[in-house]
Amino acid sequence: MIIRFLQRHREASVALIIVFLFAILGLVDRSYLSFDTVLLVYGNSLILFVLAIGATMVMATHGLDVSVGSIMGLAAVVAGLLMNAGWGIPAAIGVALLVGLVCGLFNGALVSLLNVSAIVATLGTLGLYRGLVHLLSGGAWIEGLPENFKALTKAGSLGLSPVAWLVLVLLIVAHLGLRYTAFGRSMFAVGDNREGARLIGIRVNEVQIAAYGLNGLLSALAGVIFASQIGFIPNTAGTGMEMRAIASSVLGGVSLLGGTGTVLGAALGAYFMTSIDSILVLLRLEAYWNDIIAGAILLVVLITDGKIREAVDRHLRYQKYRKFIDPQAAGQHADAAKAAARPLKTTLETSEARK
Amino acid sequence: MRLHPALKRWESVLALLLVAEILLFGAINPVFLQPSMLLYATSDFIHIGITALALTLVIITGGIDLSLGSVMGLSAITLGILWVDGVNIWVAALAALAVGTLSGVFNAVAIHLSKVNPLVITLGTGFLYGGAALVLSGLAGATGYEGISNFDPAFVNLANLQVVGLPLPFALFLALTVGFMALLHRTRFGRYVYLIGQNPRAAAYAGTPVFRTLVVAYALTSLMAALSGLILASYFGSARSDFGTTALMPAITAVVLGGTSIYGGSGTILGTALAALLVGYLQTGLQLVGVSSHVSSALSGGLLVIVVALRSLSEMGRVWFQHRRVLRNVAAE
Repeated sequence: MIIRFLQRHREASVALIIVFLFAILGLVDRSYLSFDTVLLVYGNSLILFVLAIGATMVMATHGLDVSVGSIMGLAAVVAGLLMNAGWGIPAAIGVALLVGLVCGLFNGALVSLLNVSAIVATLGTLGLYRGLVHLLSGGAWIEGLPENFKALTKAGSLGLSPVAWLVLVLLIVAHLGLRYTAFGRSMFAVGDNREGARLIGIRVNEVQIAAYGLNGLLSALAGVIFASQIGFIPNTAGTGMEMRAIASSVLGGVSLLGGTGTVLGAALGAYFMTSIDSILVLLRLEAYWNDIIAGAILLVVLITDGKIREAVDRHLRYQKYRKFIDPQAAGQHADAAKAAARPLKTTLETSEARK
Repeated sequence: MRLHPALKRWESVLALLLVAEILLFGAINPVFLQPSMLLYATSDFIHIGITALALTLVIITGGIDLSLGSVMGLSAITLGILWVDGVNIWVAALAALAVGTLSGVFNAVAIHLSKVNPLVITLGTGFLYGGAALVLSGLAGATGYEGISNFDPAFVNLANLQVVGLPLPFALFLALTVGFMALLHRTRFGRYVYLIGQNPRAAAYAGTPVFRTLVVAYALTSLMAALSGLILASYFGSARSDFGTTALMPAITAVVLGGTSIYGGSGTILGTALAALLVGYLQTGLQLVGVSSHVSSALSGGLLVIVVALRSLSEMGRVWFQHRRVLRNVAAE
């Protein structure tokens, strides 16, 4: 039963691990086990949340975008330059988001219209957009951002900053939008079976381009949040975030092969990735332990999940063909059947044991 | 117009582009055409080419290895740690290569056991190896990204040695290119690599040792990444855990630009080698004519996008013409 439940609700396994992490933290020091810690981690994961929403959409269409880190940097630099040139904060952010949207649409056009494989296309734009960052900033850090802009990520009502509230709303809208609207479902349809989606009347190319476009827009938002959080914009803003975003989504059950996954799962994955970082800080472990622990847990989760999926598939197949597998049957068929049944039985036993 | 079949190959296009590129930069700045300049410029990027050669095998099997950048850092740090602990530098280098090979074997085993997409697994192992390198350098007290230096002079000089007039890393690259060409195009193992990339299920049914082939392909990639880490350590005279972080994307770029299909099943070593030189010289040349290194990396990103889009367009055009011809024939009947 548990396995079935975890299989159906892929998010639950990540949620369990997060609870486990917090339990370890609680064992070390009870005082950390508070709502404040939960909020602290939430505040630290805003950027990854936003990126994970975009990654979920792109991965749902059987795509992949490794250029998001560069789009983040580009949007942050655009916003920073405009604000320092005396533009109003909303206008600067608006232009930055627009830049992100255009970058995303360009990715989408390459993948969808020119038929370039997603990883190759976005690998190219990763370098391209990063170069634009350096070109625009002239290689220097952008400092002296307006205080009002930095205040966007300072804690406000109920301990959450204005941006944190915005991200919460975004998460809910994106989760429901992807699950219950025709547009959301069409992304999964395209990812699951492109040709089939086309035959039932989905505008495949448009949906794909839209997914990349929205992903670009969200990456730009992540870049703006980044700039607001740290208060200055280095040229390296956003580098390496693409891998963290993909890892979060995969942890949360979004398949790289398209067609499955939820925003809730991806968000939990992002929360998990951040809580490792935050909890290590609270446990006073040196920061250099972060990646190895994150990587180890990521691998354990992925491999166990792969094994569980395999076991469930085998179990289903066993149920389906059980009537054909008759140990009493004569001749070579019986041997073949026994050989086929053996691995099935062992997995059944282990799944019984797990219950 | 009838072209000789050899000229129709993608590798010929790459070779022509390479020559055109060198001549173009030479026309702007004649320094670029000096043989010593052309040879020693390779030291800045040849580690990417060496890794890309082996990565070609993995990508042809339909897989990918995102952990190779981390392996570069891990191997360099392993070397550094052992050297600081007083181990002979050559023994330390062998140990670093062994660590690299083992991480490749681990990649393949994890992919085989979990049946999860290699992209995801090597993303995870990339965190793991990169994290291990950070932990090792942290434990050794090499704070932050400072790195470990003061290596044996014999080891540091290695990157500047000459072999028949060529800098050692470049000579190594040429030798490895020939070696990998022989391995991929002239051995049974090489045929298995293509077969697995074409259709893993058919390969398994045909009795291909799929798992063993994958282990060798991933182990070779990590071994070459580890070797690249050592070359960088020798070239810079210090070992840092973040050595490979910038090498991953260019390595994949070289493989894909070289004509290997990211979906597996086709590709050549020669293409990868030429593409690695093409991208590397583009960076060097742009820097020589006064373009900053960051903008030049943007241009190589742009180059990748344009080349791949053009290939894709020409393929679409070919299919379109084919369809039109068929339709016309049908209409004529």
